[in-house]
Amino acid sequence: MPGGRIDAVFSALADPTRRRLVETLAGGSTVTASALAAELPISRQGVAKHLAALRRAHLVRAERVGRETRYRLDGAPLEDAAQWIARVGADWDERLDDLRRLLESGRR
Amino acid sequence: MSDQERRVEREAVLDAPLREVWEALTDERLLGEWLAQDAELDPVPGGAASFRFPDGEKRAGTVLEVEEESSLAFSWARRGEPESVVAFRLEPLNGRTRLIVIERGPALSPIAGPQWVARLHAFAAALAVVAA
Repeated sequence: MPGGRIDAVFSALADPTRRRLVETLAGGSTVTASALAAELPISRQGVAKHLAALRRAHLVRAERVGRETRYRLDGAPLEDAAQWIARVGADWDERLDDLRRLLESGRR
Repeated sequence: MSDQERRVEREAVLDAPLREVWEALTDERLLGEWLAQDAELDPVPGGAASFRFPDGEKRAGTVLEVEEESSLAFSWARRGEPESVVAFRLEPLNGRTRLIVIERGPALSPIAGPQWVARLHAFAAALAVVAA
């Protein structure tokens, strides 16, 4: 991780309110800023400000769903299992096609 | 988060006898024709395995299991990832060969849930030390 990014993560998590936000998001679901505000003792504007800081640090990701913006923890550093399975599966499909071509072409 | 298991399984019925498929899995020159661009593989348990791919990526690992014309397993590691294990199984099928490949990936911690929170608390504790 480049130094600037580490600094951003540090300053984003140095704030106890933002740590609470991250903990709330760690439940695993995606939530709107309003839902977060309802759950925490801070205003909707306060939540928006803290979410912006967490997004700058790449700790939280925003997604548009219809007319809402929903937030979730950003798993980019760890990448989730579904992505791994899709990528690795596609690699094997390609390799097995190549193996079949090799075996069935008689080029061995 | 639901299932975090990283596992891919593929099966192919190949129009070639067991012996030829086994060679394609264990002969370095033949491996270079389908698995990677360049392959080095010492097909004995504990033997070295290393691969170079067309995009320049290199993966190195260890041969874990060898059973002549029956099974082969080795580890390799993608750039920036812990090792995963590739296991091949071969079965004769009336002159053809059924090949099953299973790759099991590194078990990384889920990106959400209790482990994330635990990591966060550890991080906050570290911050408190730095700030003090």
